[in-house]
This record gives sequence, structure tokens and C-alpha cells, in this order.
Amino acid sequence: MTPEQIALVQSSFARLGPELPTLATRFYQELFGRDPALRALFTTDLAVQKVRFAEKLTEIVRAMPRLGELLGHTRALGARHAGYGVRAVDYRTVGDALLAALAAVLGDTFDAPTREAWAIAYNLMAETMLEGAASARPIGSQ
Amino acid sequence: MAITLPRWPLVGRRAELEIFEKALCSGEHMGLLLHGPAGVGKTRLADECREWAAASGHPTEHVTGSQTTALLPLGAIVALLAAGLGQPGPDGQVNTVALFEETRRALHQRHHGRRVVTVADDVALLDAASLALLGYLAAQGTIFLIATVRTGDPAPDLLTGLWRDGRMERVDLEDLSRTQLDTLLHLALGGPIEAGAGREFWEVTMGNPLYVHELVLGALGSGALVERSGVWHLEDRRPATSRLLDLVGQRIGGLSAEARSVVELLALCQPLELGYLETAAPFGVLESLERAGLVTIAVADGEVRLAHPLHGEVIRAAMPRLRARAILLAEAERLETSYPAHGPAALRIAVWRLDAGGRPDPAVLVRGAYLARDAQDFRLVRRLIEAVPDEQLDAAEALLLGEALYELGVFEDAERVLALGQGLPSSEHVALRLAVTRSKNANWGLCQPETALAINAEARAIVTDQPLVEQLVAEEASILMFSGHPDRALAVLERITGHDQRTRVVRAIVGAVALAATGRTADAMTAAEAGFADHTALGDELAIAHPATHIINQVFALTEAGRLAEAERLARAGAEIVASHRVPIAQIWFAANLGRVATLQGRVATARRYYAEAAGLAQVNRFGGPRRLALSGLALAHALLGETDAAAQELAERTTVPAFGFLGPEQQLADAWTAIVSRRPRDAAQRFRSAAAQAASTGHRITESWLLHDLMRTSGEDTSARLRELAETCDSPLVAARARHAMAARARDARALSDAAGDFEALGAMLLAAEAASGAAEAFSRAGDRRAATAALRRASALGAACEGAVTPGLVREAAVPLSGREREIAMLAAEGMTSKDIAERLYLSVRTVDNHLQHAYAKLGVSNRAELARVLGNGT
Repeated sequence: MTPEQIALVQSSFARLGPELPTLATRFYQELFGRDPALRALFTTDLAVQKVRFAEKLTEIVRAMPRLGELLGHTRALGARHAGYGVRAVDYRTVGDALLAALAAVLGDTFDAPTREAWAIAYNLMAETMLEGAASARPIGSQ
Repeated sequence: MAITLPRWPLVGRRAELEIFEKALCSGEHMGLLLHGPAGVGKTRLADECREWAAASGHPTEHVTGSQTTALLPLGAIVALLAAGLGQPGPDGQVNTVALFEETRRALHQRHHGRRVVTVADDVALLDAASLALLGYLAAQGTIFLIATVRTGDPAPDLLTGLWRDGRMERVDLEDLSRTQLDTLLHLALGGPIEAGAGREFWEVTMGNPLYVHELVLGALGSGALVERSGVWHLEDRRPATSRLLDLVGQRIGGLSAEARSVVELLALCQPLELGYLETAAPFGVLESLERAGLVTIAVADGEVRLAHPLHGEVIRAAMPRLRARAILLAEAERLETSYPAHGPAALRIAVWRLDAGGRPDPAVLVRGAYLARDAQDFRLVRRLIEAVPDEQLDAAEALLLGEALYELGVFEDAERVLALGQGLPSSEHVALRLAVTRSKNANWGLCQPETALAINAEARAIVTDQPLVEQLVAEEASILMFSGHPDRALAVLERITGHDQRTRVVRAIVGAVALAATGRTADAMTAAEAGFADHTALGDELAIAHPATHIINQVFALTEAGRLAEAERLARAGAEIVASHRVPIAQIWFAANLGRVATLQGRVATARRYYAEAAGLAQVNRFGGPRRLALSGLALAHALLGETDAAAQELAERTTVPAFGFLGPEQQLADAWTAIVSRRPRDAAQRFRSAAAQAASTGHRITESWLLHDLMRTSGEDTSARLRELAETCDSPLVAARARHAMAARARDARALSDAAGDFEALGAMLLAAEAASGAAEAFSRAGDRRAATAALRRASALGAACEGAVTPGLVREAAVPLSGREREIAMLAAEGMTSKDIAERLYLSVRTVDNHLQHAYAKLGVSNRAELARVLGNGT
């Protein structure tokens, strides 16, 4: 990522402010709309899930400029998701849902450069989460 | 004691890793095929798979194909061999099946039955024996194979076959997207990069991961890529080279002398033990090479290798030959002093000595040659045995080399080597195989049947063991059959008394063709079917023809019996099978037989295509005899199409191929028909007569009928008496139809000619049917039966339309349609759908006149309404 892209991600995220819960709601709508089967992977109450999503996203965006710190969050998160049965292909669906939710909530201010910055940021998150998932995945028997 | 460094990140490959995990754990797959361009990350992904497997308790191995390791069978996969090439058996042979099984058992024991996850890098460069062993171990569940194939290299048939059968997974890797590249840079550098530098990396590498790896590590090493206040900048904006190989070359070129020695050693002899390299190189050198991403050190077994196969290629290409030689010989000596002579190390030593252009242990070469032979890799057999000094060759080794030379189409050398082998002491079994191979080479390779018969007779005088003698007798019959003597071949086959299965198979191969050619097509079919059953039941290593030969013989017998549609169906099915198995000689015979069937069917353009295919394949694979046959067929097809120059050209081409007796009389159809289209009818007739006489004297009864019938067709000469005799001695309806046609033509009997057309049409011989119908029309016309004549003409035209543009003298011509100018004009308009009234208006005639002309045209053409008229005129009458 470029420093400008990191700044774009952080400033656009800050603009959400009180709309953060709306983003979370919209994200899960977009996600289950794209792949209803993913719903089965969430065993917690969705309201609780939305709060956790908002907290994690906030932590990750804040850590974005410092890779070491970012990795601390994403690897652990990825390892946990592997336990839920999330696979590599699901990460693409999640990314699409996140970008769509951001576009819906941010409206016109979600312009092309902002969108690109988020796409790259998400790819970085996803790759490092997957790395964490790989090292934590239960080993299959023979 | 591995040096720990942050690893180069893996980006965009997680889904592929999951495919591997699933394939490994499901138990349904034997392996994974990784396909993609150079530098896309196949090796890296394979390593990740291997690490994951190791972490989950699987033993792992890594082998790499290269031009060097392919110097000796199994040279690439020494790591998997428990006991080198095994102990030689009697006659110095290596029992491949036993060696494979021994290897499987040893791996099974060593790893307590756990599947060994084995990475095979660049499998396209593996020798055939290595591939076969890997395939065997994977099929047995002893290993899980991860094979990489570079785009543009041929993926081995064995692996693509397994993949098609769903027994292997396949992943096609692509270069990274821009987003993935940004992630990779971010993770590799540990922080953000300045926008211009990021764009530069994208524009130069276009997402090729190895390229990115080389460029980033190179720029870090040279100080061009620097961090300032947490952001990476590219200081030196010299345009980076756009060629990956150049870039790798620059990186290697910048190494210190000590580091260079290490990578050179690895490029030639990898993998090497970490312990050894640490003593061989000054402290810190290995660590710096690992940090530079040039070498990898496996944690599990402490083996060091170059990080990427491309590094090895670049280093080897830049290394002076003498330096490489010195390194290889020094390593060979080091290994020789520290390892037992017969273990896997012997194989590595031999590979290095071969690579150095030196002389390895002949025993290893010979054992390698046997393995290569079992894997049908005759080029390798030749290279290995030719590295053994001549005076050290024994009879069995001369046989091995002679056979390889024969298979490679180097017939003169094969003759020399096999003759040399016959002069050496040997067992009777080896003596027999030397004789059989040498006579086969003389007959099929050198096209000298007399020499072949002499070699065979000489061997029969020496060999005493009865089953071996019978094999020689069967071989004698084979030489006679395929040098143009079916009658003598049948007589020789009578001498075989034994009932051993192998002899029965050889007898069936020769017998089926001989029986068919002499007119016993039903017996031929039975023989071919029984031969196929015996042959597939044999299933051992024997070096006789491919089992498909029996199918080819059935096609031949069906053709001779005039069962053309069945012959065509069977041949097409067979051709498809042997094409997928890549058996060139069988492909040639199927194509040639399809050409033959098409010729008889009158589908002359199709015949031209099949014969051209057969001739091309025969040329590529250096089968002189079959090529001559195919060129004859090709010239015949051209002649039947009226392509005079092309026919003459193929005949000229044919003179460059040695004479070939098999179906000799039939080959002369080409000469006769070329004379016909060149307007030399007397030469043609002369050629038909002499070829028929040759056919008669050698027992080619069905060919004789073909030749005599063609003589009748083209010159009107009465050959009916002999054709009738042939019809009585052959069981072929085609021969019978020819005889009836000739008799009807002689009697100018219109009805009988019509019947002959019906006979040919029923057999699917459309050109002959068209000619007979045309003859019938002429006879009807002569007898004054205009209406019947017109009907016959129309039939002749319809039949001729199936003949793909054939232009034989017996075919109907456009001018033969007996319409007057006005009749034709009116008929054409009516056929277009105009009413009589419209036609009358257009031509300024009365409707009544138009109708009169139309009625005449209907009568002449033998039709009764406009629809039929349209069809007849549409057919070009």
C-alpha cells in the first residue's frame, strides 16, 4: 500500500462515525445475499456479531500503518475463523460484501481512489488472516 | 540448525493450498499437478504443500527433473531409491517390475506405511523410467505426488491421463493481480511503498512472483530500495531489465567468489547436505545466500538446494565447461570415498560422471539402459550403451543397443551392432533374440527380405530349443508375408506344431494377413480375433508387435471381404485408441487401411487425406516400407481425382524409398492409374497385366481381382474368365461382384450391368457402382430403351456424386444428358419453381409448347414431377 492509500482508508473510515453499526448491518445483508450458505457458519447472535465486527474493523484500520501490529490482529482473527470452517474462497465473498457495504453507507464520498485503497487494504487483511488460518488449521488424518 | 529468517511471503495461493490439503486428506487422489509459466510460483507452492504435509506428520521428499538428471534412468529420483538400481539378473538384465516393487516396499517400511508427499519439480524433464516409477508409487498409495509442469513444456501423458481420470488434482497458476502484488510488496518490505515505486514494480514484473522476488531482493541488496520515515522508495530509477533470465543473471553475477562457488556446486549437484556445505564454504556465506533468496534449507532433513530451478539454469549456462567438469568429478570422487558402491549414491556418481563427459561405471550404465528400455526410451538406451567401450560389450548389451538403433530407425548401425553381437558368446535365448531382431531390421528397416531370410535360416541351424525354433519359423513366415509372399508364408506356418501362446500370437499376426490376401477372409477374421484374445491374455514384456496389430488385420480382412462400412468403423475406433496411446506404427497402418477402404468406397478425396496422413507419419517415424505403401495409395487417389501432376509427383517421391514387397502388386495400381490420367492407356494396361501376373504367382488373389477388374474398367479388355475363377476360389463378395460386372460388361447385358451396380452399391463401393450404372445406361441406349437408359444415367450420376470428385473413364459425363437446348432451358426454369405460364411469358412461347418440352425432358430424364426434376438437375446432370 502507499501511504496515501492508508490515509484514505483511515479518513473514510473516520467519516463513518455513528454510522458504523449501519455499516455492520449492511455488511451482513450483503454477505448473506451473496452466499446464504455462509449464514450457517455464524453460531453467535447476529446482533453480538455485528458489534464484534465493528470493533475488529476499527482495530485493524487503526493498526494499518504499522504492519507488525496489523499482523497481530489479522493472524489471530484468521486462526479463529479457520476454526469456524471459513475457506479461502469465502474471503472473496466477504471482500465484495465489505466494499458494497462501504459504498452504500459512504455514498458519493466512496470514490474510485477510496475504493481502490479499500480493495488493497482488504486484500492485505485477507492474505494475513489466511496465513494465520493456515498455521492454525487442524491437521487432517492420513 | 537452520538459520531463521523471515520467509518471502506467499500471496494469492491460499485457495490452491486448500485444494492440496483436500486432495491429500480425501484419499481419492494420487497427487496434484501444478501448471503455469516460469516464475509463477509452482516450486514455492509445492514447497508450502510439502511443509504443510510435514507439519501434519507426513514424510516428504523432493526431486527435480533436469537435462542432467535425465542422463541416466531414475537419476532424478535417487532420493526415493532404497538400493540404487538393484541387482542385475541373468543376462545382465534389470527386472523393472521387481525394482519398482522393492522400492515401494522399502519406502513403505522406512516410513511405516505413511504416504510420502513427494514434490517432483519440472516433471517434463524427467526420464521415462523416473516418471513410470513415480506413477507406480503414487498409484500404490506409497507417495502423494506433487508435480510441476512449466507452461509450454509437454505434461507427461501418464499424469494428464491420471488427471483426466480424476485421480489427480490439477491447479493452473497465474501471475498475481495488481492488488495481490501490492499486498506482496507490503508484506515483503514490512510497510508502505511510495506510489511511483509500486507502479514501477507492476509495470516491470506484470505480477510474475519470481520476477518480483528477484527484483526486490536485488534492489535491497544494491541499496536501490530504501526506507525513509517508514515508507519505501526506489532511489535508483535505472530501467530494470524486462527479461527475467537477464535479471537472475545480474543477481548471480553480483555474488562474491565464495558465494558463487556454493551456487555453482548446487546447480550441478544439488541437493547437498547442510553439514557438508558448512565445512566447504566460509562462515556466513550460506546465510547471506539464504537471505538473498537464492538457496533454501529444508528444516526437516538439512538438505540445501537452489531456491528456484531457473537459478540453476542460469548458473549452469554461465559456467565454463571445464569448471563444471572439475566440480562434477571432484564431487563424484568425494561420494565414492564415503558411500558403498551399490547404493543410490552410485547412481548420482554415474550421473555426474556422464555430465562431466567422463566414463562412469559400465555396470551402472548397462543397468540404466535396461531400465530405459523397459520405459521405451530408446534414445536413452542408445546414449548409455554407446558410453560403454565397444570391447566391453557382451552379446546381451549388443542386443540392447541393436534393438534401440532399429527402433530409432538407424538401420545400418543396427545391422552392424547386431551382427557383432551374434559373434559373441551368449545364451540360446539371447542368440535367438539377436537373430530375430537382426532379421526384422533387415526386412523392415533395410528392406532386404533375402538377407532377412538368410539370417533366419542361419539361426534355425544353430538354435535347438524347440519353442525357440518355432519362434524362428513364425518369424520366417512373417518375413515372407511382409515381403510379398502370402502363399509361401501360409506354407511355412503349416510347419509350426507347438501350441505355446506366444507362438500362436505371432502365427495369428502373419496368418490373418496371409489368409485374407489369398482370399480366405472368413478364416482371416477368425485368426485375427483369436490372435487378439491370446495376445491380451499374454500381457508380458514380449517384444512382438502391438496388440492393435490384430485389429488392423481384422480391418484388412473386412476390407478384402468387401465389408467396407464395418472395416471403416473398426479402423476409426482403433485409430483413435492408438493415437491416444501414441503407437506410431499402428497409427500408420490404421491410416493406410482407412485410405484403402475409402479408395474402394470411391471416396477418393477422403482416401487422399488418409494416405497423406499415413505417409507423413511413416516419414516422421522412419518406417520406409509403410511409407512406400502409403505413397502408392496417395498417388492412386490423386490419379482417381484426375490430379495428374500430383500423382506423378508422389510416384517420383516413392522412388526415394527402398522397394517394399508387402502388397507389392497392389502398389502398382498407382503406376497404372497415373498412366491412365496421363493419357498413356497402353502403358496402363501393360502395368495392370504384369501386376496381376505377379499377384497370381504370389497368391494375392484378391489384389489380382482388383487389378484385372481395373484393367477391364479402363480398357474394356475382357478379363471375365480369370475374374470368375478368382470369385470361385475367394470367399469375398467384392471379388464376386467384380466378376459379375466383368461378365455383364462382356455381354453388354444392360440388366446384368444394372444388377452389378446394385451389388457394388450394397457393398458401399460407389465409384464401381456408378461406373456399372453408366455402362447399363449405354447398353439400354444401344438397345433403344431410352427411358431405362435415362433412369440408369440418373442413377449413375447420383452414385457418382458420392465419389468426391472422382474422374474415371467409366463415369458419366455432363454431355451425356440428352436434353436439347430448349428442353434444358425450360427444365431449368421449371426446376427453379416457375410455373409453365411464367416460363411461357418469359420465353415468348405458348404454355402448350412449354408443357410439350417439359414432357420430353421428363421422359428423357426418367422423372415424373418437378420435385424430381429439381433433384436431378441439382445433381449436375
